[in-house]
Amino acid sequence: MSLGLVPYAEAFALQRSLAGAVSQGAIPETVIFLEHRPVVTVGRRTETDVELHIPENAEVEIAETDRGGKSTFHGPGQLVCYPILDLGNHGKDVKRYVRDLEEALIRTLGAFEIPGERIDGLTGVWLTRPPRKIASIGVHVSRWVTTHGYALNVDLDPAPFTEWITACGLEDAAFTTMARELSRPLTTDEVRPAAIAAVAEVFGLELEGLPADAASGLWPQPIHASLAAR
Amino acid sequence: MNERLEAAAKLYDEAARELDQAARHCEVAATHFRNGEVPRGAAHAWAAVGHMREAEARLDEQAREHSRRSVPEA
Repeated sequence: MSLGLVPYAEAFALQRSLAGAVSQGAIPETVIFLEHRPVVTVGRRTETDVELHIPENAEVEIAETDRGGKSTFHGPGQLVCYPILDLGNHGKDVKRYVRDLEEALIRTLGAFEIPGERIDGLTGVWLTRPPRKIASIGVHVSRWVTTHGYALNVDLDPAPFTEWITACGLEDAAFTTMARELSRPLTTDEVRPAAIAAVAEVFGLELEGLPADAASGLWPQPIHASLAAR
Repeated sequence: MNERLEAAAKLYDEAARELDQAARHCEVAATHFRNGEVPRGAAHAWAAVGHMREAEARLDEQAREHSRRSVPEA
């Protein structure tokens, strides 16, 4: 599902409800792609006194979440991916799931000839020499169903990662974007197809996109079978 | 309070909460469909289905418990 620009609170509620639906087998595993309005999210391990130094005039929302990890920033120009997967189908291994998300990001970047890498001991995807973070990961798993996911910096000002917060709890870390690395503007619409393909490939999913407008027709849903049986 | 009645009440409370959430997602889905935001509307519709199933599961659980405890007429 590509949902466009979605307020954080709506996306958070939606993910939790979709996770319940996946857990019930009411809907298939689902992958959401979207962008957020400017928001700083704090995870379960965030030390807000130390990590947040947001200027008073900054137009940004602050949201608490149930994901792991420290604080991070989301804004337009960042491609956010929230896979709602049943890890019962993917090995029941949260560490492996995070590594797989990193792999999907590395393949997405690879489609643009950007050499994303892992750095030992750190989560997310980086470019090196010098180290600069291009994508962050934070996940939550309940009843083996995943919520949250990754945020890939496509084309946005990375200043909030360092000036507003100590993103991911990393002092002195540098942040970059795909546009900066390619030295050209780039939209999330351009990156999304590669991101969808990478997630499908890494997790062995057959992803079927919901049509963007009503005229595109209808799509099959698991509920159709149960309706037919009534 | 009778323990069995309290257990039944708890299941109905949980079902009510799920139905409330389903209703909220339906309202949001309606707004998005009216705005022509089909995937966003569909996402909320799917979320509503999940909560309906959760509610149904609680009501089924209570029905099964009731069935277990029912004494057939002689």
